[in-house]
Amino acid sequence: MAVLQRALFTWFILLVFLILLVLRLDTRIHWNWFIVFIPIWFYDNILMVYVFFNMMSYCRNGHDRLSNSVQRKLWYLLAIILKMLSLIILCLKLENPSYNISTVYVMIPIWILLPFSVSDVFLTLIKSSRSRYL
Amino acid sequence: MFFSLNELVQWLGLTVFELWINLISLCVFSVLVTLRTEGITDQSPDTWWIVFSPLFIADALNAYFCTIVLIRMYLEAMYKVAFLRVLWSFCFLTTIFVFEFLLCKKLSGQSSLEYSEVLSPVFILLQLMAVRACQLH
Repeated sequence: MAVLQRALFTWFILLVFLILLVLRLDTRIHWNWFIVFIPIWFYDNILMVYVFFNMMSYCRNGHDRLSNSVQRKLWYLLAIILKMLSLIILCLKLENPSYNISTVYVMIPIWILLPFSVSDVFLTLIKSSRSRYL
Repeated sequence: MFFSLNELVQWLGLTVFELWINLISLCVFSVLVTLRTEGITDQSPDTWWIVFSPLFIADALNAYFCTIVLIRMYLEAMYKVAFLRVLWSFCFLTTIFVFEFLLCKKLSGQSSLEYSEVLSPVFILLQLMAVRACQLH
């Protein structure tokens, strides 16, 4: 997939999700929260398949489009799983207020994911610090 | 993952430094939101402004960074590039800031706007991002 197709696909998924989210928050629809999050589930699954096939391609040919190590691709898969886990707990919390699920459980996968992302971006920033405008 | 960092920077029109600032602010924001919703901190409606403060600070830092870059580009006579960059940064930062401001007001009960109105800046930003996506190659 070219970068244009990937960007437009991401954009479309985000748009549909935001429309559903707004309708649900304004209580114009009373759908289950898991249904509202369908665009995100769909996107995450596509992402997992994409990373998995790239990993397979890398193992078979020694190179692929992402040109990252297998370790990094496994980290990508873990990141997607953590994000999905967080959203599943969030949907359970919103759908069943009587369960009193703590927000901490929703945030734990995010708190694992975010520091790694911050350090990864920071390392890239350090590497590209020779560039004039960062 | 789906996008490399370079592709993401190209599409969003942000620098890696701005992305990093936003990620750090999101980290702090997630902790503050949890403390607020779990009732560990003060439950008065005004505390939402404190919860949202990392996001506002990140916006301010990004605006400052963009101003510095604009001045440097202007001094080096890169007028057209500087104009396009500042135009996009202004649109991006303004829409994000307005969204955060409206959401904060809504959560603190100071506004009777609906969520569709609160998210309207995000929808505007999405349209601009669609235009930028079409320019990717």
